Amino acid sequence: MATYVPWTIKYKPKSLSEVIGNEEAKKKILSWIQSWEKGVPEKKALFIYGPPGVGKTATVEALANDFSMELVMSDASTYRTEETVRRFAGRGSQFGSLFGRKKLIVFDEVDGITGTADTGGLSEIIRVIANTRNPIILIANDAWDPRFAALRNLCLLVEFKRLSVTEVMRHLARICAGEGIAAEDKALRFIAERSMGDVRSAILDLQALAQGRSSLTYEDVSWLAARDRKETIFNVLRMIFYAKSATTAKNAVNMADVDLDMLFEWIYENIPYHIKDPRELAAAMDAISRADIYRGMLKETGDWSFLRYIIDWMTVGVAFSWSKKASGFVPFRFPERIKAAASTKEEREMLEEIGSRIGEKCHLSISRAIVEVLPYLRIILQNNPKMGEKIARWLNLTDKMVAYIVKWK
Amino acid sequence: MSYELWAEKYRPRTLDEMIDQDEIVVRLKSFVKAKNVPHCIFAGPPGTGKTTAALCLAHDLYGENYREYIMELNASDERGINVIRETVKTFARTKPIGEVTFKLLILDEADNMTDDAQQALRRTMERYSETARFILVANYSGKIIEPIQSRCAPFRFTYLPADAVAERVRYICEKENVEITDDGVEAILDLSGGDLRKTLNILQTAASTGKPVTADLVYAVVGKANPADIREMMLTAFNGDFIAARDKLREMTRKYGLAGIDIIRQMHSEIFRLNIPDSWKIKLADYVGEIDYRLVRGATEEVQLSALIAKLVEAGYEMKRSLK
Repeated sequence: MATYVPWTIKYKPKSLSEVIGNEEAKKKILSWIQSWEKGVPEKKALFIYGPPGVGKTATVEALANDFSMELVMSDASTYRTEETVRRFAGRGSQFGSLFGRKKLIVFDEVDGITGTADTGGLSEIIRVIANTRNPIILIANDAWDPRFAALRNLCLLVEFKRLSVTEVMRHLARICAGEGIAAEDKALRFIAERSMGDVRSAILDLQALAQGRSSLTYEDVSWLAARDRKETIFNVLRMIFYAKSATTAKNAVNMADVDLDMLFEWIYENIPYHIKDPRELAAAMDAISRADIYRGMLKETGDWSFLRYIIDWMTVGVAFSWSKKASGFVPFRFPERIKAAASTKEEREMLEEIGSRIGEKCHLSISRAIVEVLPYLRIILQNNPKMGEKIARWLNLTDKMVAYIVKWK
Repeated sequence: MSYELWAEKYRPRTLDEMIDQDEIVVRLKSFVKAKNVPHCIFAGPPGTGKTTAALCLAHDLYGENYREYIMELNASDERGINVIRETVKTFARTKPIGEVTFKLLILDEADNMTDDAQQALRRTMERYSETARFILVANYSGKIIEPIQSRCAPFRFTYLPADAVAERVRYICEKENVEITDDGVEAILDLSGGDLRKTLNILQTAASTGKPVTADLVYAVVGKANPADIREMMLTAFNGDFIAARDKLREMTRKYGLAGIDIIRQMHSEIFRLNIPDSWKIKLADYVGEIDYRLVRGATEEVQLSALIAKLVEAGYEMKRSLK
């Protein structure tokens, strides 16, 4: 039992009747395969197309199983050249199987094929279809690729659609039953919804979340919300500031397309523009400043376990410090701290050099020279430029520095 | 008038020229006489003559060319203990020629060093003690680690008494031909609070206008120079404009490079000068303490100070409500 079997394999449908959804498509496939029993039909090939993870390949495999056909499956490597396609098709297109079983030739993932209708792998498939005495199925995501025009004419087109939430849920429930997991409907619905009709990804999510457990609750799965959906910073901020639940506020962090430090700056900058009530403002600023403490501790200790407190305070803390009375549309502003840090680097270097020269003459550190001497020097320069400039020269300051100090505002 | 900063021009050159701090001067003179100096800590508030005393000691010890025998480092500027160690190594490698067998190393703002850096400094001090003696200058001796303190002779500097400062101010005005009124002297003393460097900076700035130095002139000048209006920022917050107050905060930290901890301290003393109910003063002072504590724990200055400003906004709002 220790070996890891993907549930997508373990719970692969064995019969067409087990395949969920796409009833119309299945009916069409079924009648097409049955028509082979009365001889070679007009359309010798089937072209199944549809989005990933909706059961195209699984359907074909179940079909072969139901009709006891020998499945001759290709994969992407088959399509590299004409020669490889021909060799693959040659294995099954001309004759029946040794044991009298019918063969089903499948070109999976045709999207990856090279060439055109006249050359390469594609032209060879067309030739194979023309000559085949066995049923052929092509599978692709997009049948409407212009390269497939000639191919389409030779094939019966069958579309697979995204599965409905109920259909995905039904399949997930079946798996849970098989694994002995008591799963909340709400949890399964959540997984199904975010799979957007892709049952394969839903199963993979389910396995990642539920394997080895005896129960699965909504709480267990809800954090997934963020996994692969990236939102713009503005949506994320809106989610945080106007969150209706703590979970929403926290999950928003994972959706941000900026890192946590940057998100922090965005929240910090925008609090006063959205939260106007003085008491609520103080509470929100206190929340972000608490997040800031843990940020400091994380930086100092390198201990990432502080991360959870940072996130708690900067999201839930801020969101629930106010009554969220939206006062019309308020745009979010770019963090000043980031802007300032970027734009004044040169100025800071200038200031530091001035401080360093004054400090040298006055036995002071750079920072104390800036705070304790520079403000006075500036006023002297304004009141009495001649005197100020002479003092500046005595301090070894350049003309450029003097100009900087005078307009220093 | 001369074209130097008076704080430098009138910095005493010898121990005899030092004003006040008599006890300290006596002890330092005995070092000169013995031609031996232990490692020292000069601790005390800014502008009370710590660096001056160290330089005067050096002058009296080595004579006019004393600069050749000393090295001044600033712990706030020299990045990391390694710089200091390397510098000290080169400096202390050779014995000076003459009667004094060691050089003098003045390490300013030593209390800004981390404990680790101080440990390393302690080893350096021990290693080179034969050829180099250290004078550690600090605002707070408590921030110097115990093992260093126990190896150093402590000197505690205090604010200069008002009459000594007043005398100095009058003396300089006479030398520089500056006219000053009694209330002008009072005003300068009031604003500088025993910090002689600040005293002389204010005096020189007021005098640079060419007008007689009166109280009004002094306040006008300092109003312009004063660390970017912490009071104004607080009043803006009290009147409910958080965004404007935060902008002022940003100006102070960026323009003046004011350290968060200094702003906090000034805000703390301003709170008790504001015209607000006393019960509010203690509430706000408590929050100031909380923010100070958070800063010590490694939080970001601007974020923390903004939280404090928001608290002022709230306080202003609550006070207005209770008056209605």
